[in-house]
Amino acid sequence: MDYLAKLAEGFINLFNLGGATFLSWVTGIIPTLVVLITFVNALISIIGEERMDGFAKACGKFFLLRYTVVPVIAMFVLCNPMAYTFGRFVEEKHKPAFYDAAVSFCHPITGLFPHANAGELFVYLGIANGITALGLSLSPLAVRYFIVGVIVILIRGIVTERLTLRFMKKGEG
Amino acid sequence: MHKAVRISKGRGGWGGPLIIQPTDEKNMIVSVTGGGVDPIAQKIADMTGAVAGDGFTTGIPENRIAAVVIDCGGTARCGVYPRKRIPTVNLMATGPSGPLAKYITEDIYVSGVNAEDIAPADAQETAGIVREAPVPAEARSGAGKSQDAVTRIGKGVGAVVGKFFQAGRDTIEMVIKHILPFMAFVSMIIGIIQGSGLGDVIARTISPAAGSLPGMIVISFICAIPFISPILGPGAVIAQVVGVIVGEQIAKGAIRPSLALPALFAIDAQVGCDFIPVGLSLGEAEPDTISAGVPAVLFSRMITGPIAVIIAYIFSIGLY
Repeated sequence: MDYLAKLAEGFINLFNLGGATFLSWVTGIIPTLVVLITFVNALISIIGEERMDGFAKACGKFFLLRYTVVPVIAMFVLCNPMAYTFGRFVEEKHKPAFYDAAVSFCHPITGLFPHANAGELFVYLGIANGITALGLSLSPLAVRYFIVGVIVILIRGIVTERLTLRFMKKGEG
Repeated sequence: MHKAVRISKGRGGWGGPLIIQPTDEKNMIVSVTGGGVDPIAQKIADMTGAVAGDGFTTGIPENRIAAVVIDCGGTARCGVYPRKRIPTVNLMATGPSGPLAKYITEDIYVSGVNAEDIAPADAQETAGIVREAPVPAEARSGAGKSQDAVTRIGKGVGAVVGKFFQAGRDTIEMVIKHILPFMAFVSMIIGIIQGSGLGDVIARTISPAAGSLPGMIVISFICAIPFISPILGPGAVIAQVVGVIVGEQIAKGAIRPSLALPALFAIDAQVGCDFIPVGLSLGEAEPDTISAGVPAVLFSRMITGPIAVIIAYIFSIGLY
């Protein structure tokens, strides 16, 4: 009998712990998140997506901007997954590399701008929760995640561009 | 001559029924199910006399597509084709969800479909199916009339307030549909890890390996292997769960906090690998570009995945 009672207690304890975690997130993360995302959504809709089009087209010509500024702006303004529609502003042979750069930024951006990919926050938040639990500030991690993200998408863009050209040639031959 | 079929929603499914009627121009049934032609796509093609194609490895021009077969559990993909007004058959029982949920309507989308939900269509059903983008309801009347200043200011303020209100509505919908469900799911996992002692097991066995630079490089490389990465991708669910487990280990002290940065890249080398053809078609890429682009991105990750971890490791010096 004691054994059964222990078992039941252990079982419900799993969900009490989970419930405590859930409560801490709902009160600790959601309120700021809601207000922040509302603000950015409103800002984007007031600026208007169309105004970014000309800018993106101009930047798409230079490889340094094509795999840094353009995907970052696309992700910020259009969010995941509509950011990939900015691919139409780059040359055909650069589209896979642009996609690679843009999609690789859909998590590094969430540290600072969670609105951009609110459905997949826990790649960052999961790890960030560990930092919070230690009583450390998240800002240095969020900033570095963003910066390293930009460097990584540039490298990804360059490597994927090379590989795309190679696979395209193979397709012809 | 192509025959029409009627596809109804399956158990727990949503939307439909759809009448699929291929024509000489639109004669492809495209399967975007992570490689290969799904048997359901093949069955629709066989019954209609259309051709089944693999939309994951080969690009197919949109104007040739009669219908798309997908297996999306509610992330981005299930809205992409409805948005383009291409009839969409989802094998998973997913209703309107994801960032493009508003485009998922009953006249263009059906989900939870099994083989027995596909039947030949009656003659009267096939008559008069039109699939054009819906005409915007509001027609501007009275435009061009001069308005006095007060009216214009009033309208301007109204428009801005309207935008803020809509932004709030979108945000709450996002929180309810995506963030809260994920928090519930992840809280459950955390409860089980913490309460069952599984966390200690992970801390003793996996963390020493995962909490070092060589270990993380190996993880990123495995995540980036071209036949593994598309499986790990959808909805970033796996990356998110692994992220939570790593976070738990950081909280326990089993992994150094500064390693959070390289870990973020190590667990995410596969990001978007499941979505390449869809992402490229959103960027209006030609079919040939998609054919070359899918392997290019997949192989690029084997190189750039580990590089990303190393760069992040260097940048983590001095962090915490």
